Amino acid sequence: MKDNRFVALKKTPFYSRTSLISRTNKWYNWNGYTVPTEYSTTELEYTAARNGTSVMDLTPMCKYEIKGADAHHFVDYLVTRDLSEMEDNTVAYIIWCNEDGKVIDDGTIFKFSSTEFMLCCAVKILNWLSDSAEGFDVSIKDTTDTIAALSIQGPTSCSTLKNYGAQDLENIKPFEMKEFNIDGYKVLISRTGFTGDLGYELWTDPENAESMWDKLFEAGSLLKIRPFGMNALEMTRIEAGFIQTNTDFMAAEDALRPVRMRSPYEIGMGWLVHLNKKNYFVGKRALKNEKENNLTERCLVGLDIDGDKPAHGSVIYNEKKEDIGIVTAALWSPTLKKNIALASLRRPYGIKIKENIFAEIYHPEELEYKKLWQRCKVVKRQFYSPERRNKVPADLYE
Amino acid sequence: MSRSDYDVIIIGGGHNGLVCANILAKKNKKVLICEARDTCGGLINDEITNFIPPINTSISNTLGRISVKYQPKNTIALSESGEHIRLNGNQHIDHKSISAFSTKDADRYVEFHRKMSLFSKTLGSFMLSAPPRIMHRSFSDYFKLFKLGMNARLMGKKDFNEFARMIGLNIADELEDNFENPLLQGLIAHDAVIGSNLGPRSPGSLINLLYRMAIHQNSLFGEIYKVEGGCGEIVNSLTSLAEKNRVEIKTSSPVKKCIIENDTAIGVELHSGDKYFAKTIVSNADPRSTYFCLLGTENLDTDVKRRIKHHRAKGRVAKLILKLNQTPEFINCNKEDLQSRMVISPSIDYIEENFNPSKFDKVSYDPILEISNSSDNQTMNIQIQYAPFNVEGGWENIKENYTNSVIKLISKYSPNIESCIENKLLITPDNIEKDYLVSGGHWHHGEIQIDQLFMLRPIPGASQYRTHLKGLYMCGAGTHPGGGLSGISGKNAAYAVLEDF
Repeated sequence: MKDNRFVALKKTPFYSRTSLISRTNKWYNWNGYTVPTEYSTTELEYTAARNGTSVMDLTPMCKYEIKGADAHHFVDYLVTRDLSEMEDNTVAYIIWCNEDGKVIDDGTIFKFSSTEFMLCCAVKILNWLSDSAEGFDVSIKDTTDTIAALSIQGPTSCSTLKNYGAQDLENIKPFEMKEFNIDGYKVLISRTGFTGDLGYELWTDPENAESMWDKLFEAGSLLKIRPFGMNALEMTRIEAGFIQTNTDFMAAEDALRPVRMRSPYEIGMGWLVHLNKKNYFVGKRALKNEKENNLTERCLVGLDIDGDKPAHGSVIYNEKKEDIGIVTAALWSPTLKKNIALASLRRPYGIKIKENIFAEIYHPEELEYKKLWQRCKVVKRQFYSPERRNKVPADLYE
Repeated sequence: MSRSDYDVIIIGGGHNGLVCANILAKKNKKVLICEARDTCGGLINDEITNFIPPINTSISNTLGRISVKYQPKNTIALSESGEHIRLNGNQHIDHKSISAFSTKDADRYVEFHRKMSLFSKTLGSFMLSAPPRIMHRSFSDYFKLFKLGMNARLMGKKDFNEFARMIGLNIADELEDNFENPLLQGLIAHDAVIGSNLGPRSPGSLINLLYRMAIHQNSLFGEIYKVEGGCGEIVNSLTSLAEKNRVEIKTSSPVKKCIIENDTAIGVELHSGDKYFAKTIVSNADPRSTYFCLLGTENLDTDVKRRIKHHRAKGRVAKLILKLNQTPEFINCNKEDLQSRMVISPSIDYIEENFNPSKFDKVSYDPILEISNSSDNQTMNIQIQYAPFNVEGGWENIKENYTNSVIKLISKYSPNIESCIENKLLITPDNIEKDYLVSGGHWHHGEIQIDQLFMLRPIPGASQYRTHLKGLYMCGAGTHPGGGLSGISGKNAAYAVLEDF
């Protein structure tokens, strides 16, 4: 019998390249693939994303092909956002809920035509998709292993990709995509990303992966190109205020305690819920009930915290020292020079009461903790959003 | 909100739909019944129904007298050697007839019956009303649970312990502990598994028997009836009552789907394209059809779809109808015996061996049978178990062989049967699905088992005759308390509708 303990993690099509340049040898398991958390220095990788071009291996991201006559209706039914007007060759950020209106995951949906979509997300959900598809004329296929993907982010990313061969890329608007023919193979480029900056994602057949990687690094050699690991991504996504499943909230399918499940309104995703959309969507009845009867209990907010010690896992208190929430992600932001955090708070804190909130920070200093009591300000969750992020045409550098 | 032609539209004119319609009409509601077939009555039909329990008193009290003549019927467990056991529910007579085989069994039978009767009564009190909602914190719901607990507790410590021991038990263990006669064991086990997807050794088969007893007035072999003139008479009397109550009935009007506006059911659309609007829609269809066809998969949450998909409702009962040109003779049976409910189920092991292949979608050519002869003995209506819904090889291909094997089996008890047959018709579960529009062809619109009973019937979240869609209710056998032709589902549904009106 085959023993699962001795089955190695999968290697992405870029492994020959990523393993070659990994200096610190820090890897982790992402959906059964081994990928670097860090290549050399997290701070340098972060800097590439903010000042040059960063390249991240995105292959382990779950990808599902949704095809069939009812594909458009099905996708609209699956998610809370109104996608009925979604145009071909565009991408949309989405979340989906269970019947209680609790969020299962977030992701992006790519529309090729009304009969063909691609769904990208962090956690495997084929089960959920197939069960949801009951009654719809669609077929769903897990294409994770058959598509190689890279995330190219940063201010010089557009220039790098133009050097690489993507003509007129600067004219693509955010959340649009286009297919390019480069060196005889096809690459789909979408203007999407997880860093809150100008950036693109590349999707191609695994057999083109290595030559694509090589050509990209050649194209970006004068544009501060650098491979980018998971640790640096965590920094950029906190600055951008993006949420991460099972970090900032528990996925409804994973949470053991029902009270830990969160509705979209509780994680700052209310803007993605369109209760007025024409078709029914999964969770609509529960979400409508929550909205109409004001049942939302929590909120996810950005905090600007005094001092410079990141508030990892801190408990948040009001002035009476009552526990009102917890920090889900924290960072000393090198770009903003601010001590920022995402925190899940019990309403009305964070919504009506934004003052006199404190974080209790335990800062480790060589096997001793320094206990800090810092005042916090509730701020917009999008800490970092440069103008160039949405600029069309995108900035180009020589 | 758009116009409303009616107060209530009931989809399907089965007996539950008719009961529901009559109660609503008596409360001055304007009711329309849309029946897909050309007659009402659903599974109350001489093709499908052999014997029936008496209509529940709570229903006849509400509706007024239902003018049909019930004829009580005995049960006779056939034995190849001619040593049949005849039971009729009267404890003295039953004791006497079992004593002929074993005095020990006869004494034990009385005690067994007392115990089972007490338990079915305890469950029965719970069964007549709508099941309580656990999470709703309403007084009446808590009171119902309290009452069930009290009733169980009032049985006394000894019986209560016995009840707790037996509730999840399989019927075979209990019978083997009590009785030595295999024919008696086989007969009781037959009634425990009939209509279900269980063998006598499957856990939960005992509760199935308690359920059957509850709708037969807590009796094992009593309170089994035929209706003079055929069981269609019940339907006729319900429909004429409906006419009197000014219920409009449209037959041959299959409903395609519910019309939904603002996430509320406001009407129905027929296959013909006609549309009717009402404040409330009640579905007499089975849960799967109600959810997947009437409500529509595109209007359901994924979790609800999962529950409906997992809802167990695969029928295992087939019917064989034989037209005879002369009265058949059964070994050691008199004229009265021919008019009894004749059961061929010689032992527990016989049933279990017959059940085994059905687990793998195969048929056993030695099935268990319940035979009913028409009053003129010219039609023999045989109920056959286990006949899997998705049979290996397809029913079309094995129908002939299967029919012949059933006849051959009967000829062991009735040597001249083959020469009497003029015409034969086999109705398989897939025929029932198609002809009577019951998904899975299941009698009870869903298995009667602990995970699909009370507040879990048909599925969690839809158990008080309400569905996940506002304005759409269910009144069929798929709801609590379930099938068995009691009409209680229809009655309870009517009160649920009135409560929300």
